[in-house]
Amino acid sequence: MAAPVPPGAPRQRPPPQSNYNPNFQQNPNALFDNFQNLNINRPVSMPNSTPRPTPFAQTPPFPSTTPQPPMSRPGPPPPGVVPRSMGTQQPTLPPNVAQRPPAPPAGQSFPFGGRPPPGSFPSSMGSGGPVGVPPSGVPLAGALPSSGSLAGPFAPPPSARPFASSSTLSSGMNVPPSSAQDGLTSNGPLSYAASGAAPGGPRFPPPGSAMQTQTPPVGHPSMVASVRSPPQSPSMRFPLGSAGISSSMVPPMQQAMPFSVPPQSAPPFSSAPPISAAPPQGVPPPQGSPFGPQTWQSRQVGPSHPIPGSVQPPRMFGMPPPLPTQSMTTIPPAMGQTGAPVAASSKIDPQQIPRPIPSSMVVMYDTREGNQSNTPPPATSDYIVRDTGNCSPRYMRCTISQIPCTNDLLATSGMQLALLVQPLALPHPSEEAIQVVDFGESGPVRCSRCKAYINPFMRFIDQGRRFICNLCGFTDETPRDYHCNLGPDGRRRDADERPELCRGTVEFIATKEYMVRDPMPAVYFFLIDVSMNAIQTGATAAACGAISQVIADLPEGPRTMVGIATFDCTIHFYNLKRALQQPLMLIVPDIEDVYTPLESDVIVPLSECRQHLEMLLESIPSMFLNNRTAESAFGAAVKASFLAMKSTGGKLLVFQSVLPSVGIGALSAREAEGRSNISAGEKESHKLLQPADKTLKAMAMEFAEYQVCVDVFLTTQTYVDIASISVIPRITGGQVYYYYPFSALPDPAKLYNDLRWNITRPQGFEAVMRVRCSQGIQVQDYYGNFCKRIPTDIDLPAIDCNKAIMVTLKHDDKLQDGSECAFQCALLYTTVYGQRRIRVTTLSLPCTSNLSNLYRSADLDTQFTCFMKQAANEIPSTPLVNVREQMMNLCVNALVSYRKFCATVSSSGQLILPEALKLLPLYTLALIKSAGLRNDGRIDDRSFWITYVSSVSIPLAVPFVYPRMVAIHDLDSKVEGGSPIPPFLPLSSEHVSDEGIYLLENGEDALIYIGSSVDSNILRQLLGINSVEEIPTQFVLQQFDNPLSKKLNEVINEIRSQRCSYLRLKLCKKGDQSGMLFFSYLVEDKIPTGGQSYVEFLINIHRQIQVKMS
Amino acid sequence: MSEMANIDPEGIDGVRMTWNVWPRTKVEASKCVIPLAASFSPIRSHPDIPSLPYAPLRCKTCAAALNAFSRVDFTAKIWICPFCYQRNHFPPHYAAISETNLPCELYPQYTTVQYTLPHNPNSSNLDPQLSPVFVFVLDTCMIEEELGFVKSALKQAIGLLPDNAMVGFVSFGTQAHVHELGFSELSKVYVFRGNKEISKEQVLEQLGLSSSGRRAAGGYQKGAPNAFPNSGVTRFLLPASECEYTLNSLLDELQPDQWPVQPRTRASRCTGVALSVAAGLVGACLPGTGARIIALVGGPCTEGPGTIVSKDLSEPVRSHKDLDKDAAPYFKKAVKFYDNFAKQLVSQGHVLDLFASALDQVGVAEMKVAVEKTGGLVVLSESFGHSVFKDSFKRVFEDGEQSLGLCFNGTLEIICSKDVKIQGIIGPCTSLEKKGPNVADTVVGEGNTTAWKMCGLDKSTCLTAFFDLSSSERSNTPGTINPQLYLQFLTSYQNPEGKSMLRVTTITRQWVDSAVSSEELVQGFDQETAAVVMARLTSLKMEMEEGFDATRWLDRSLIRLCTKFGDYRKDDPSSFTLNPSFSLFPQFMFNLRRSQFVQVFNNSPDETAYFRMLLNRENITNAAVMIQPSLISYSFNSLPQPALLDVASIAADRILLLDSYFSVVIFHGMTIAQWRNMGYQNQPEHQAFAQLLRAPHDEAQLIIRDRFPVPRLVVCDQHGSQARFLLAKLNPSATYNNANDMAAGSDVIFTDDVSLQVFIEHLQRLAVQS
Repeated sequence: MAAPVPPGAPRQRPPPQSNYNPNFQQNPNALFDNFQNLNINRPVSMPNSTPRPTPFAQTPPFPSTTPQPPMSRPGPPPPGVVPRSMGTQQPTLPPNVAQRPPAPPAGQSFPFGGRPPPGSFPSSMGSGGPVGVPPSGVPLAGALPSSGSLAGPFAPPPSARPFASSSTLSSGMNVPPSSAQDGLTSNGPLSYAASGAAPGGPRFPPPGSAMQTQTPPVGHPSMVASVRSPPQSPSMRFPLGSAGISSSMVPPMQQAMPFSVPPQSAPPFSSAPPISAAPPQGVPPPQGSPFGPQTWQSRQVGPSHPIPGSVQPPRMFGMPPPLPTQSMTTIPPAMGQTGAPVAASSKIDPQQIPRPIPSSMVVMYDTREGNQSNTPPPATSDYIVRDTGNCSPRYMRCTISQIPCTNDLLATSGMQLALLVQPLALPHPSEEAIQVVDFGESGPVRCSRCKAYINPFMRFIDQGRRFICNLCGFTDETPRDYHCNLGPDGRRRDADERPELCRGTVEFIATKEYMVRDPMPAVYFFLIDVSMNAIQTGATAAACGAISQVIADLPEGPRTMVGIATFDCTIHFYNLKRALQQPLMLIVPDIEDVYTPLESDVIVPLSECRQHLEMLLESIPSMFLNNRTAESAFGAAVKASFLAMKSTGGKLLVFQSVLPSVGIGALSAREAEGRSNISAGEKESHKLLQPADKTLKAMAMEFAEYQVCVDVFLTTQTYVDIASISVIPRITGGQVYYYYPFSALPDPAKLYNDLRWNITRPQGFEAVMRVRCSQGIQVQDYYGNFCKRIPTDIDLPAIDCNKAIMVTLKHDDKLQDGSECAFQCALLYTTVYGQRRIRVTTLSLPCTSNLSNLYRSADLDTQFTCFMKQAANEIPSTPLVNVREQMMNLCVNALVSYRKFCATVSSSGQLILPEALKLLPLYTLALIKSAGLRNDGRIDDRSFWITYVSSVSIPLAVPFVYPRMVAIHDLDSKVEGGSPIPPFLPLSSEHVSDEGIYLLENGEDALIYIGSSVDSNILRQLLGINSVEEIPTQFVLQQFDNPLSKKLNEVINEIRSQRCSYLRLKLCKKGDQSGMLFFSYLVEDKIPTGGQSYVEFLINIHRQIQVKMS
Repeated sequence: MSEMANIDPEGIDGVRMTWNVWPRTKVEASKCVIPLAASFSPIRSHPDIPSLPYAPLRCKTCAAALNAFSRVDFTAKIWICPFCYQRNHFPPHYAAISETNLPCELYPQYTTVQYTLPHNPNSSNLDPQLSPVFVFVLDTCMIEEELGFVKSALKQAIGLLPDNAMVGFVSFGTQAHVHELGFSELSKVYVFRGNKEISKEQVLEQLGLSSSGRRAAGGYQKGAPNAFPNSGVTRFLLPASECEYTLNSLLDELQPDQWPVQPRTRASRCTGVALSVAAGLVGACLPGTGARIIALVGGPCTEGPGTIVSKDLSEPVRSHKDLDKDAAPYFKKAVKFYDNFAKQLVSQGHVLDLFASALDQVGVAEMKVAVEKTGGLVVLSESFGHSVFKDSFKRVFEDGEQSLGLCFNGTLEIICSKDVKIQGIIGPCTSLEKKGPNVADTVVGEGNTTAWKMCGLDKSTCLTAFFDLSSSERSNTPGTINPQLYLQFLTSYQNPEGKSMLRVTTITRQWVDSAVSSEELVQGFDQETAAVVMARLTSLKMEMEEGFDATRWLDRSLIRLCTKFGDYRKDDPSSFTLNPSFSLFPQFMFNLRRSQFVQVFNNSPDETAYFRMLLNRENITNAAVMIQPSLISYSFNSLPQPALLDVASIAADRILLLDSYFSVVIFHGMTIAQWRNMGYQNQPEHQAFAQLLRAPHDEAQLIIRDRFPVPRLVVCDQHGSQARFLLAKLNPSATYNNANDMAAGSDVIFTDDVSLQVFIEHLQRLAVQS
């Protein structure tokens, strides 16, 4: 794909290829058959792209309505449906019924990964249909062909498309566009698209046989999309990059259309076809635009939103947005057609339901285009950002990329409004580094009223003598030495030379005003458990080994200080001063009222103690070899270490192996108590997830005050009461690492890697963070690992690139439609090299009063991550049943509104999902089945889950509950471009065969499942064993000299780098505990103990929506 | 003085009494002014004392040991206890007893007998060969130089310890560090915070020594010697032979306290906690183990319990004036802390030795109670580099003839005749609160008991027991009873080798009816002892009694004494004479009034406490020197001879040697000094001069060698600044007021103090007043 398109906007090309419509094209047939009642429509992302072209977006609605009718007509039954939807919802979101048609392809689709589809939009339509079909099971196959054939032959579809296109065009050309533009600036397009989609939806149904119909619809949508896209192009941001292109786009669009058709023929190959299609298109028209649309379509096709993101990478931008709307459209049709009432729910074809379709493509993304905010690619996809005014979505992204003007609108949507801020997130290596701006002694320019930092959205007026704050609206005098005349476009002439005026993210050098003291040195204090258990399990040795290796990675320079202490029932400090012949061990035995044994020499500059430190680390395990002390004074040890660090602050890294049993903050084995009292245990079990008492919390608050951040490495084989322990890392901006059950064979490597990453990752100390919002919106609360003393700011003794903070927002006023709402996150921190900096991240998003715009710009990954964080927040105070219900409700609420107000298809028998959120049910199901919300499972596992989620970033949040599974027994047989990671499999046991070996990873753990009848040859190559019986309980990945093994290592290393985590590898086989563990991750399966299968869950959701609708 | 000149006034028994003849009644006794008191050295060595390898026979009612004063019925094999008249049968192994075959303890000349007990009766059947324990508690809040001195002293001391002695080490500054000597991997210390009082249980718990064993630190235990079964304490206490190297390298690396000292503040020093911790540590040893906590302190405690002064340097350490005015906010609290600390140590049977070296005070006044009650040693000096410290410290550990003969776990019992009551003891011991019929109603010092604990005692330890008489009028039964009274001192203790010993001294004195014959009474007066006893009593009263006017009390006592025992005509001062038995007493009193014991305002409370502790524990001869120094004059034309303690003894061509116990002053007359400065002593023709110069030095060395603590040697010249050490002790017979009549080469003292002559004149006048 890429190859062909290269010249043009990369995006374009990708789209076509990626589009595997197949997925999308749900096998209509299948769907029909299976879902009689449920039509799961996944809005295709496509729409978005379209929509963006503002003009269209809005217009679309209207046109859509109109068009729809026509559509409907063509479409047989659907029409009826459509109208309703139209009526109810309105034009805004056409019905995207998520046709999950893609589902069929699903099986196959995965491979395509919805993403590919997205890429290959154009083709998607056509191709998608076909492709999808074939892949799908037999029926599918049938369907496909049919669909394919249909598509081709079928006049209807084509006509439809043309129709659509024409209509779109016309609309775009005519009134619609204009109107659209008016109404929706940026959003408009979306709606438009939606409308387009909607029509599409209906059409599908019409096609007659479900199967066929569906396929067609796909085509339609794509068509539509394409059509729209052209118009959009002008306004579209996605095209963005191609703002200029927009115009060109139009033409392409049309062309695209045609192409799309051809692709359809091509469809069989998801990717291939699109490509072929793409090229042509690309060539003729300004590809960019056409592609854009196409991509969308493809995405739509690919139903899988996520996919689009990933797949499209190149065009990512364009792609993602489009998807939503379009998908919508496409979907509806399917649904509508289905028509059949719920009755058939059980018949839903699992192959066709929405699933994420990953893509290995990298997308280029400009944060703003044409002075419009650009909808970001999915957080879980691979993309490269160019900061053109808004910050990179890595640093800050909103659950909805358009801000509802009123609180009512937000409430109606059932969605959440929140920001996920990850201020030090790792950029893509190809991205431009954040620029550092030094304002000298005067410090950065700020609004004198709200103290917001200068940013690209501050408007300079009066010849540049004054500027208006985009956050509070106050007009300030420009500082004299910062004055600059304005150009004809009203911008400062130097805007492009000054990063703070043209970049969404900059760093300012902080002046003395921002310091209450000199920037602190980088202090690392290691605290190691040497109690009997820790020694005997090898945890101490592992910790010492890890530290010893990691010393070399500590920042160089005189400002790096280290200290070390060990503890059992007493605390042992070490004086590492160079003058001593050997370290001096200082024991603090009073664990009820601790103190530090030395003022200065416990923490010394690394350069002065390297030798002593190494010697000591080497001898600690042997020194305590015969330690018979089983008690652990964790709380006291942490407190004492804190006292030693109090004057500087710094990072305290604690290696703990058993339940803290003595001294300050001693804990009891509550878990056991809970077990012994079952009746109470059931009801009150969540109490075990709350800290046992307030001691540790009070300590943590004190730590935070003195800028001490605590990370805890739990290398344990027993219950350690993470619920209580985790309070310390959470309040101090730290992290909990959990190695359970700790094993001396495989775990030290992970421990070392975790520690190394902990120390080497980008991070800052003694940080303070505040998010400011434009007038009308205010911050409601912050969630994450930090300490909060005043409502507006959060204190972060340490912050690193992996920590995300959720910021919930609320309206305190109306926003103006068409205006922009800005969010600014300012993080004041000290670098590891002792520089005080302010990282300012600004995001300006359009405001909308249009509900369908909200759905179109909904950010699935972000929203879902918010769900998770809310769930994590609730679990300790609410019975699990209620939390699960709550999560269900969150999911249902968002879908209900959509169904009610945006879907054009209104048959009560259809499940209609907004394209952007079509995976929400799946993720919600995964969440409900996750370790955190499951009833079974250990208390500590759940506590860890909560702790992990509280600070997790979006890209890691999703896989944490919805892991990635790939087959690895046939790694060498596949030839992929780009990523070494093979295509993902749905998390369903149907996709796990006894002959296969599968790798499943969630960013923390990786399970390798070995089927019971795997070819011993493969076993030998991969794992160095001859039969399943030889599977070791403890596993260390080795690289053998064969391609398969090398591939596997390559795959795992790739995953590790993606996840910034060294994965705990574990081998699983059927029939024992490990197998159970593996299957517990297959969230689509029905769990004997009561968990619903994915299909059942969809039915359930559908039922609930219906209940709410009525 | 002739009587005093007796070489060994204490004889075999080591007992000296104020009155060697006792008045019959309480009333009579009180008229004698000077209380009935006996000063005795419980384990003083004497060549004539027999050592018996068996346990003594004890009276079955009063537990008195069989002694030379017992009446024995050889045929009936019965002995009669002279105290209670109980008749006791001899046990079978005494079957061979006869008039010609007496056991040693019945020999009349062996009024003092030493028994070596096969088993320590107090501490059961455990291994009697317990090694002594030495725990060094070292202050590290010092300048490097001082720390260097003390370290080298410590190293030397450790080298001198017997191989089997167990050694522990605690250092302290802001916090207290207990060094685990038995941990070989690296230096390991337990750190205790300095500002928090810590109980013995906590110490044990935190060191992992508590019997509950929660912290059983078996993991650390290294080949524990068998001496302390079931005890983790061997992690901290190692035989000197095993830990000498460890300790030496530890001392080499030991640095001054690392905690920063703010400008204009004192170092933060947690002496109290460090001592508590050390006490806890030795408390983990088996009961009955003799242990010494040897504290080396270089400054005042400013942190935690036992604090004597705040860290703010603008606040001076309390003075006597502050104490008088109750303006020492930390004093009482600190004393209370050390009082409790003393109780703990006593209950454990362990000793606190205090070596304080600092220019300012370190809190000896507060710690006095702990040192004194445990029978510890105390040395106060200006610097750890000073010979007063260095030589004294070395003496503690030296073997051989100079050995102090440090013993442990002493218990003293006094058994006395029926009408004699015991008021108490002044000296290094603690009352065991053992009540009995012989306990007096009034208490002096450690009273309310007939038994005392002496956790530490040595050859020179001396105690003063105060007696009273039964108030019942016994004159009803005159003559029927024994005209003799008996006292028996039983001292059991562990000698340095760990063996259990029992010393039994039985003495007898005569009752006299003073109403009948005061002549006998007068003859029995020991004025030197009386002076010392008065000094001790005065010191005690000054400490114990609020607003006690010592000078006045002494004057009145002296006047009463003179009134009672002087020969005079009423109201005719010139007719006043004193019996020779009393003749020196007024002069002792004169010097006592001027001494550091009474005139405390010239000294810091620390010094006063130090002087008093030594006054109370030294024998009569030495104590008398403290009160009234001896002065020897050296000149060309005569042998060294005692000189009057008077400014008139100063002459330009003389060298004076003053021994005031705490210091030895060699004072060169002006001419001598000039000659010496010109180096005549180096010229062969002036050998005599060289000898003259050397003679007092040799004498001073003799004095110093025998004395513990080692006195300060001051060598000075007439009119030099150091000469004040001499002048302060001299009778100011020549002052600037009467400088006119002074002889050439003599000197004057710039003082308004009265001279002895004036004092005596007044005394005569007052004594004869009717």
